[in-house]
Amino acid sequence: MSRPPTQGLRLTPGLAILLVLAVAGLGLIAYRFAFGLGAVTNLSDGYPWGFWIGMDILVGIALAGGGFVLAGLVHIFGGHRFHALTRPAILTAFLGYLLFIFALMVDLGRPWNIWWALISWNHVSPMFEVAWCVMFYTFVLFLELLPAVLERLQWERAHQLWRRVAPLLVIAALTVFTFAMTDSLGWTVAVAAILAAWETLMRTGVMARDRQMPILLIMAGIMLSTLHQSSLGTLFLITDKLGPLWYTPMLPLLFFLSAVMVAPAMVIFEGLVSARVLHRRPELPLLVPLGRALPFLLAGYLIVRVGDLLFRGVVLETMRQTLATWWWWLEIALVLVALAIFASPDLVRRGRGLLLGATATVLALITHRTGVAIVGLDVPEYGRYVPAWPEVVITAGIVALGLLAFRLAVAFLPIYEPELEPGTAGRAPRAVHDHLTATPVRVG
Amino acid sequence: MSALSRRRFLERGGRAAVGLAGAGASAAVALAEDAVADTGADRLVEQAAAQWAMLFDSTLCVGCRACELACNTDNELGRTPDEIFEGRPAEDARALAPSVFTYVTFHQVEADPSTAAFGKVQCMHCIEPACVSSCPVLALHKTAEGPVVWDGTRCLGCRYCMMACPFLVPRFDWDSRNPRITKCDMCFDLQGQGKPPACVAACPSKALRAGTRADLLAEAHRRIETRPRRYVHHVYGEHEAGGTNFLHLAARPFDELGYRRNLPMRSYREYTKPAMATIPYVLGGLGVALGALRWIINRRADVAAGGHEESQP
Ligand code: SF4
Ligand code: SF4
Ligand code: SF4
Repeated sequence: MSRPPTQGLRLTPGLAILLVLAVAGLGLIAYRFAFGLGAVTNLSDGYPWGFWIGMDILVGIALAGGGFVLAGLVHIFGGHRFHALTRPAILTAFLGYLLFIFALMVDLGRPWNIWWALISWNHVSPMFEVAWCVMFYTFVLFLELLPAVLERLQWERAHQLWRRVAPLLVIAALTVFTFAMTDSLGWTVAVAAILAAWETLMRTGVMARDRQMPILLIMAGIMLSTLHQSSLGTLFLITDKLGPLWYTPMLPLLFFLSAVMVAPAMVIFEGLVSARVLHRRPELPLLVPLGRALPFLLAGYLIVRVGDLLFRGVVLETMRQTLATWWWWLEIALVLVALAIFASPDLVRRGRGLLLGATATVLALITHRTGVAIVGLDVPEYGRYVPAWPEVVITAGIVALGLLAFRLAVAFLPIYEPELEPGTAGRAPRAVHDHLTATPVRVG
Repeated sequence: MSALSRRRFLERGGRAAVGLAGAGASAAVALAEDAVADTGADRLVEQAAAQWAMLFDSTLCVGCRACELACNTDNELGRTPDEIFEGRPAEDARALAPSVFTYVTFHQVEADPSTAAFGKVQCMHCIEPACVSSCPVLALHKTAEGPVVWDGTRCLGCRYCMMACPFLVPRFDWDSRNPRITKCDMCFDLQGQGKPPACVAACPSKALRAGTRADLLAEAHRRIETRPRRYVHHVYGEHEAGGTNFLHLAARPFDELGYRRNLPMRSYREYTKPAMATIPYVLGGLGVALGALRWIINRRADVAAGGHEESQP
């Protein structure tokens, strides 16, 4: 193969809808910057956070988080056969985080001051931690994505340089990060020394390198992700606006567990859907084994979620007739549906069952996070918060922008590996047929 | 493995071991440091004793709202007296707005409809404020003198302070392109010049007093002791949310006067503290564990494959 594989691009009805949504969203964003947040949202002094924090940030970051779990699986836990899935996951994560940062700029009242976060450190603030983690993790994702770009440009020398420099950048970044978070020289030196020790071991050949990705990059991704995925939950520990079904000191753990649980589900979901949209064959031989981890992850989450209610003695809250209670039942029902599907091997082996289970898992996470950020909020003095339609359209527009960017990226970058040999995939023929007859127009 | 390569292997391993040992040692130092540097809540309460504070005695308040007018004038909030005195938006913290830093709430006493009782809402200037501990960029901070003030040059407008404040105090300009976080700053500038806060100076019935927290707290307890039937036996702000620099006395239970009830008696920062304290352990622990896992798993796979690992890509 002379060129790494990319996916062609042409205007389909789906792309057209995305374009319209993106334009509508951008228009409303312009309106918001002209007339203030009150002009497009139903936020108030009692409900200063709403739909955007829930969807764009809590849900968005979890759904884009698949990259770190997969990268860990492949490069730390030796699951090399899943390598074909990592690049799409890293690309999704990178685009997801860029989008998240963009969405955050729309939500912030004074986004032009964001650079203060770099120099004005409040290391007891969970928000400060999330901001730094996201910033550094986006940088790590950028470094992880670079090889795809360099391959496309066929810059061999730059690729070599990247191999040597990326680990050093990671050590530097995590050292600064640790200092900002802990304000403790001891911890900073400790973390720097640990990372430097591993790198020395690898440079001297005592410990094997990874052929594709510097291990330190993977480690940094996992460390930063573990921190901010759970800190999104920590954010809400300080507020007393949440009802008892949603507020728990376990929020950081729940947020971390659900992020890990949704990672394989999201990879499966994207794998199947993007295969359909791009007329590729889904990587079923890889996606099915990934699904085998889900019963355990789902069960673990469910145990903590329900066990916590029992432990705090608020189970009776689940019997009340309020929207927040129904929302809780919806979340639990979705987890149970996903659990039932993934626990039956027959269903998982087929693409459709796999897709259904993955969808239920993703919806369960969305229900929990919107529960914490939107539905579970209860400020008696201020009535209820219901998102305004422009809030929803702006979020939809931002997601559409992201999907367009993803589509563009796979058109120009070698993200997907060459298709598997025929016969290794479960149900290949239709997809192969589509792929052969689609004759995509190449725009690049 | 030849003897030579084994020796080299050991040497390098030794060097790495020294590195890891160093890491362990510095982690131990860090732990010791943390134990010393931990400013306990008690220390903060002690510090607050000498800080500026305010006392509102609801039993002395006649509801004239001269304090609101004075605050409006002194802080140039731009409302006319008519706007201030006409209509009552709400009888609790909801009455606060970007142009309303303080508000006197009005409550009919159920047992005796001909009498009224008043409450006062404004920033409580908490000893360990939820808003300050949540602000990512220190735009809000607790001054050494006691007032909690906002610095607009840093604020991102993330509104986390509004999510965090248990008294529903910080306000945001929802209809502005350049929104500010607004709230009472205990007249930080005026007090810096040795003058009392504008609202205190304006109060005709001495319902408002300014002084150090220790003095005002003692005064509040003295009043309850000397007139036990006049007051509910509770100083609102002595312990609420870990204690505040603004103290309240009243004749009626505070929740009847628009005050938030069921507040915890410890500071809100305590709720995020345990989770935040795990950060260095997560970083250090994962740093060691992930590298070790990867080493072990990779070597096992190599041994199983019977080959020698590739040391160069
Ligand atoms: S009352 Fe609210 S705004 Fe005022 S210091 Fe306390 S937490 Fe901050
Ligand atoms: S809105 Fe401003 S003052 Fe409030 S927490 Fe955010 S940055 Fe701090
Ligand atoms: S202390 Fe100053 S800013 Fe605060 S309510 Fe009184 S007059 Fe207004």
